[in-house]
Amino acid sequence: MVSRRSRTAYLVIAPAVLVLAVTSLYPAVASLVLSLFNWNWGARFDFVGLRNYADLFNSAEFWQVLYQTFLFAVVATALELVLGVALAVVVDRLKFGQSLIRTLLLTPLMVSGIIVALMSKIVLDPMLGIVNYFLTGLGLPPSPFFGTTATAMSTVIMVDAWWQTAFVFIIALAGLQSLPQEPIEAARVDGAGPVQTFFRVKLPMLRTVLLTVLIFRAIDTLKVFDIIFGTTGGGPQIATEVMQTLAYRKAFSFLQMSEAMTVMVVFSLIVLAICLVYMRLEARFEED
Amino acid sequence: MRHASRDQLERSLAYLVSLAAILLTLFPIVWLLTVSLKTQRDAFAMPPKLLFEPIADHFLGLLERPGFVEAFMNSVAVTGLGVAIAITTAIFAAYGIHRFRFRGKRLFGVWLLLAYMLPEFLFIIPMYVLYQRVGLYDTHIGLALVYQAHSLPFAVWLIRSFFKETPSELDDAARIDGCGHLKTLRHVYIPLGAPGIAATAILTAIWIWNELTIALSLTFSDAQTITVAVASFRGYTSINWGQMSAASIVAIAPMLLFAVIAQRYIVKGLTLGSLKG
Repeated sequence: MVSRRSRTAYLVIAPAVLVLAVTSLYPAVASLVLSLFNWNWGARFDFVGLRNYADLFNSAEFWQVLYQTFLFAVVATALELVLGVALAVVVDRLKFGQSLIRTLLLTPLMVSGIIVALMSKIVLDPMLGIVNYFLTGLGLPPSPFFGTTATAMSTVIMVDAWWQTAFVFIIALAGLQSLPQEPIEAARVDGAGPVQTFFRVKLPMLRTVLLTVLIFRAIDTLKVFDIIFGTTGGGPQIATEVMQTLAYRKAFSFLQMSEAMTVMVVFSLIVLAICLVYMRLEARFEED
Repeated sequence: MRHASRDQLERSLAYLVSLAAILLTLFPIVWLLTVSLKTQRDAFAMPPKLLFEPIADHFLGLLERPGFVEAFMNSVAVTGLGVAIAITTAIFAAYGIHRFRFRGKRLFGVWLLLAYMLPEFLFIIPMYVLYQRVGLYDTHIGLALVYQAHSLPFAVWLIRSFFKETPSELDDAARIDGCGHLKTLRHVYIPLGAPGIAATAILTAIWIWNELTIALSLTFSDAQTITVAVASFRGYTSINWGQMSAASIVAIAPMLLFAVIAQRYIVKGLTLGSLKG
C-alpha cells in the first residue's frame, strides 16, 4: 500500500523532476565540470584542475566585482525594505482609495528591467535629462549620474529602488493587514503611541514575512543584470561591474567559457550559503 | 476632540506621502510616453516642452524596423509556451507535494528553492553550449524550456499554497465517491484552485515576458524576444530616443493592461506566496 502510494507521488512529480533535471541539474553539474578545464570555445579542451579558481582568486578584478556586487545588493535591499515598509505603513492608514493607490504603486513591477534601464537613461541623461533640469531649477548642482565612477553605483542602486520597492511594499501591506488585532488593541489600551505600537508590536509579528521579503530581495539584487547591462554596461571602467555582468562579458564577449563558469560556480556557492542560512532562520522563526 | 484632530492630521499626511510616492512612481513612465510621441527636436528641447504636438512617427517606424514585429510575436509565443509548460507540470507536482509523503520530498523542496535562487548564468552558459549542439539555440521551445528553472519552482510553490486552502473534506468526499487521483485533481483541486492557478499563470507570464538575461544569451534572430529587441537600442540611445521610447512603450503596454485587468490576482499571487510559505 505504502509503495503504491509513493509510486503515485513519484509519478505526479516526475514531469517536474525531468524538466528541472534538464534545466538546472545538468547545467549546474556541467558548469562545475567545465570550470576544471581550459576551454575557450575552440578545439583545446585541457584539464587544469583548480587553476581557474586560483587565477580567479588572484585577480584584483574579481575581488572588486565581488565587493561591488555586495555593495549594490546590501544598499539596494536595505533601501527597498525601509522604503517599502514605510510606504506600507502609510498606505495602511488610508481609508479611501487604498486599492487604487496600491495598484498605481505596483506599476514598476510590471516593467521589464531593460526598459527600466533605458527609461532611466532618458530621464537621468546628464545633458538632456529632465531630472537634472529639475535639480538645477531647484538651485542644486546637476549630477552626471551614470557618467562617472563616483556616481554610477549610487545611480543604479537608485534605479533598482524605483523598480523593486513596490515588491516589498505590497507584501508588507498584506502582512500588516493580516495581523491579529488583539495585541495591537492591548498596546493601545496600555497607552502606546502609533510609533511604539509599530516597533514593539507590529514589526515583531511581521518578522517571518519580512525575512522572506529580505531573502528574495537579497538574492535578486545579488543577481542583478538587466538594469546594469542596460545603463552602464558595468562601467565607467568597471565601477558598476557585478558578478552576472562579469560572467556575461567573459562568456559572450571573450568566449572565455571556463572562466565564466568558474565565476558562476563561486558565486553560486555564495548564494547557496545565503539560502542555507535563510532556511535555518526560517525554521527557527517558525518554532517560536 | 484633540485626539480626533490629530488623527485627521495624520491621515492627511498619509495621503500626501502616498501622492508623492505615486508621482515618483509614475513620472518616468509618463515621461517615456511623452518622449515616444515627440519629435527629436521637442524631445531634446530645454526647458522641456510640456505642450507639444504629438506624432506617431516613432511607433509607425517600429513597424518597418527589421525584426521588431517578429520579436513581439516571438515573445507572445515563448510566453504562451513557457506558461503552459510551467502550469501543467506544476499542477501535478504541487498535488504530489500537497497530497503525499514520500522519500526525497524535502530534497525536492530544496532543489526547487535552489533552481529558483541560483544565478541565471550558472545555467545559461552550459545550456548555450548544449543548445548549439542539439539545435535548440534560438528557438521558441528551447527558450521556454530554460525559463522553467525559474518559473517551475515558482509555480509549484504558489499552486501548492492555493491547494492548501482547499478544504480536506472535499478531498475525502471525492475519495469516498471512488474518485482516483486524476479525478480528484480535476474535480476538486483544479476548479477550487482556479483563481490561484490563474494568478500563478499571470505572474509567470509577466516574468517571462519581461525576462532579458536568458533571452539575450539563448536567442539571436529567429526567436529574439521583445526585451532583446528593446535592448538593441541601448548602444545609440542618444540619437534615437523617440523610437527607443516607442519600442519600450509597446513592450510595457501588454503588461500594464494585464495589471489593470488582473490586479486582484496579481496581488493575491504576490502576497500569498510569502505570507503562507
